[in-house]
Amino acid sequence: MKSYMGKILRVDLSSGKVIEEKTKEEWLNKYYGQKGLGIRYLLEDIEPNINPLSSENEVILIPGIFAGTIVSSAGKLAIASKSPATGTIDDGSVGGSMGAEIKYAGYDAIIIKGKAEHLVYLYITPDKTEVRDAKFLKGKGTHQTDFMLKKELKDQEIKIISIGPAGENLVKIACITSELYRQQGRGGIAAVMGSKNLKAVAVKGWKDVNAPDISSFVKTVYEINKKNILIPDNSWTVSDGTLIFGDLMNDGGILPTRNFQTGVSPIYKKLHLEIVDKRKKGNKACFGCALACGNYIKINNVTLEGPEYETLNMAGCNCGIADLKAITQFNKDCDDLGLDTISVGNIIAYAMEMREKGIHDFGFSFGDVENYLKLPERIAYRKGVGNELAEGVKFLSEKYGGKEFAMQVKGLEVPSYDPRGSWGMGLAYATSDRGACHMRAFPITEEVIEKTVEPFTFEGKAKLVIDGQHYNSIKFSVGVCDLWALDLDLLAKLLNMATESNVTGEDLTKGGERIWNLGRIFNVMAGFRRKDDILPERFFTEPLPEGPAKGKVLPKKEFEKTLLEYYHLRGWDEEGIPFKKKLKELEVDEGVIKKFERYLKKGN
Amino acid sequence: MRLVLNIEECTGCKLCELACSAKNEGVFNPKKARLKIIDYYTDKGREITGKFCTLCKKCLEACPTEAITFNDEWLTVDDELCTGCGECVDVCPQGVIFLNDEDKSTICNFCEGNPYCVEWCPRECLKLEVAE
Repeated sequence: MKSYMGKILRVDLSSGKVIEEKTKEEWLNKYYGQKGLGIRYLLEDIEPNINPLSSENEVILIPGIFAGTIVSSAGKLAIASKSPATGTIDDGSVGGSMGAEIKYAGYDAIIIKGKAEHLVYLYITPDKTEVRDAKFLKGKGTHQTDFMLKKELKDQEIKIISIGPAGENLVKIACITSELYRQQGRGGIAAVMGSKNLKAVAVKGWKDVNAPDISSFVKTVYEINKKNILIPDNSWTVSDGTLIFGDLMNDGGILPTRNFQTGVSPIYKKLHLEIVDKRKKGNKACFGCALACGNYIKINNVTLEGPEYETLNMAGCNCGIADLKAITQFNKDCDDLGLDTISVGNIIAYAMEMREKGIHDFGFSFGDVENYLKLPERIAYRKGVGNELAEGVKFLSEKYGGKEFAMQVKGLEVPSYDPRGSWGMGLAYATSDRGACHMRAFPITEEVIEKTVEPFTFEGKAKLVIDGQHYNSIKFSVGVCDLWALDLDLLAKLLNMATESNVTGEDLTKGGERIWNLGRIFNVMAGFRRKDDILPERFFTEPLPEGPAKGKVLPKKEFEKTLLEYYHLRGWDEEGIPFKKKLKELEVDEGVIKKFERYLKKGN
Repeated sequence: MRLVLNIEECTGCKLCELACSAKNEGVFNPKKARLKIIDYYTDKGREITGKFCTLCKKCLEACPTEAITFNDEWLTVDDELCTGCGECVDVCPQGVIFLNDEDKSTICNFCEGNPYCVEWCPRECLKLEVAE
């Protein structure tokens, strides 16, 4: 028996109707799972131009093919929807145990649409799915929600994902929390849950997950763990985790500081990983992961898994804050309120610069720890200035000005890497399927960390970014964690063992390209074109003032040329619309091609 | 013979449970593992404990059909004698005995001295202690 469960669950919150249907195996063969499968179901079920906060939008929970099996670093849950922050397709994953638990409940995916009359949660077991009253959880943080639901269900070990007040209040940067400290962070899918009056999903499973030949499967995975996972190359994930990026980015001169005004931070040493490591209490793993990257720390009375590099810098140096205690509190508050720390940090820094430049006064400046600590709550409950901050920097810049330093792409705030010192990263942000995201292609590895590629040129970058996008697309579709940099031949080997298929690493690269095109089709149908594949003006016009990338900007004309080269290499036209020939070559299924053709014929 | 867990080092990955169910039951299912790692957060912080057979032999004493025997090292269930009454499940203070799909009592036997869970622990914090 394969490692799929063969069934998906559909829940319509408007009618309360719950149905099971067969997982479409032909889609699994083409789009694999997680990211790919999520986009495919969304393309089938919704029109890409709908309002993301309307009841038609869906939230799709998709465990990976290996979730629930013994394969390491493969238990994360993918969540896909149309993003309210960007209006693009959005998929992201969250660690913890929910991926495996959904498999143990018997499902390859859970598709939720509609809108409940009042706040509800889903309680899912192999026997039944119930839509239950969640009015008693209204306005509660994700931590309280977790504790209260476990009490109500009389089960400390039940797996829960939930939204905080931010999601309930349709904050565009709201995130979904699992097990307190794990988040599906980017793009505001928690607000989609909020718009459906869906506070949480609780799952308890006890069904078997299989593998065709379990004893050789287990033996192979054991060897892979020894040879490819528990090796010195990966030891940083456990010892330092993502905090290792602090040194790497500051040394590369691309550590966003004071809203990307510079790439070298004078205060960053105060947030150095060695200082954080001293507070470390241990490592916590996602389900079935041999690496265990979760740094469980205690600072004063604050318990936390983290802070991760992104939080530490976006809510630290980028806001002019060097107080580890304050950042830890901020991090915990954001986790509890259900806010994406990357976007919150970016938005706060933007508001700080607005004040510095005299454009608009939100009432706080760089380094103002006291006000900074009040902001997550204000944003999550939309109190005072929080109401507007909750809409993101794109909205703020359109209302008040300062667009050139509103650090966002397609409405998603830029994460903690400045592309002026890594030009490929600029192209990666511009062409990512959900706005400024570091999880689609990451040329920083070659340009800054390994230094195998010249960072201050666009030559060869279109291909570098494309390759990265395909690699991550397939990896996040089969469902393997970002932190395990496995090669695709190995991924193919695992996949073949779990699904009795016969794919090669090359097939998977093609699959990655197929899935990337699927996302582009969605985005084109949602109205995105070349004009949207652009970066904030600051990256084109303001040279970095110091460090290894001193004096560097991204030359705009060259950027535009490279973007066209990127489209050309992809087999897309000059607006970034995939040609039918390309889609055929990639064996995108006919259903999608026909839907896309109908859309294009309408003259959009 | 007994399993010992260095709880300080345990990451809660549960690979031990998966290894156990894969080897002994032929499926991946933590509910069918003969040991249990319990790991969750409360408002006071992280709670993590390991549950294993401690050879307390309460199951053996409770078994009405004498299906459970002890060979000086581990417990064994005789499927022919086991009626699936569940007395052993109820009486196990660690909560690590369960009835399998054939309704037979399923008890840890340390994989007859080579516990798979120990082999799989990525941190080597789960160990088998053998009395001198």
